[in-house]
Amino acid sequence: MKEMICTSPFFGITLSIIAYSIGCYINRKTRLALLNPLLISYLLIIPSLLLFDIPLEWYDKGGDIINMFLSPATAVLAITIYRQRDILRKHIAAVLAGSLAGSASSILIVFVLCRALGLDDTIMASLLPKSITTPMAIAVSESLGGIQAITVLSVIVTGILGSIIGPVMIRLFRIRSEIAQGMAMGAASHAVGTSKAIELGEIQGALSSIALVMSGIITVVLSLLIFG
Amino acid sequence: MKILYQIAIIFALCLLGEIISAILPFPFPPAISAMLLLLLALFSGVLKIDHIKEKSDFLLSNMAFFFIPAGVKVVEHFELIASIWWRFLIVVAASTIVVFIVTALTVSLALRLEERRR
Repeated sequence: MKEMICTSPFFGITLSIIAYSIGCYINRKTRLALLNPLLISYLLIIPSLLLFDIPLEWYDKGGDIINMFLSPATAVLAITIYRQRDILRKHIAAVLAGSLAGSASSILIVFVLCRALGLDDTIMASLLPKSITTPMAIAVSESLGGIQAITVLSVIVTGILGSIIGPVMIRLFRIRSEIAQGMAMGAASHAVGTSKAIELGEIQGALSSIALVMSGIITVVLSLLIFG
Repeated sequence: MKILYQIAIIFALCLLGEIISAILPFPFPPAISAMLLLLLALFSGVLKIDHIKEKSDFLLSNMAFFFIPAGVKVVEHFELIASIWWRFLIVVAASTIVVFIVTALTVSLALRLEERRR
């Protein structure tokens, strides 16, 4: 009976949607960046799989179907850029300089730290795209021979961390320009940081979503050129 | 029917992206090829946002949901994570802080240079 239910693709999909809805609800009620909907989903799904002794491959019958939407979800990020084309045109030099500096520093620091801490090449490949949005990060990690799950974990931890410390850093380093604030949030902590940037202001939100896509593309190209 | 057409457009773009990535002589993520194609289509006017609006809004506003299965795969890597967790956290935390500062300062500097030129 258990096998019949849990090997149906509907099981993994339904479980994921329920977990995600609970995650969104808790996040909305508490407004805490730490209680990220995605993080809550994992804290609900993973223990349930372990508790009821459900193999990952059963869950993945549905999971693979959800996974299929990663590619379309990445593709439509193009719309985010297109919608911000006026701001983009106006500040193209600053946007390009910021995205390039952010992406290059991310790759450099991850490389140096992984080497210094004795982490192997598989872990390094998994962590190199950690600052960019999940679907792009998974794509890079896959191309470089990393472990998808480690990449996703690092991207989520980065996003949550960035949205918590971002506003603190803005005060600490006296970043007055709203454009610089938004770019830094998006480049350092992708979509999760962008949702925080939207709370800071409209300009910050727009620039953060531009940074999210631009530094994503630049990181993809740089990391594949250097390590591919 | 409208949503059906929108799904077809976006899935066709993804399929084209996969074809392009297969033809390219170096590894390039198909999803990024599809995104660049869509960017090209929008800026050239071949596609209008209205052609794909509802489907895109659905994908963009539920973006995080689609990451769930990829992350659930950590159940297969508990031992690995247990062996690297503190190093993992150092890399993630340090790089997040560095990227934030570098980006913020670079953009501030670039904006100041832009202003001076005017």
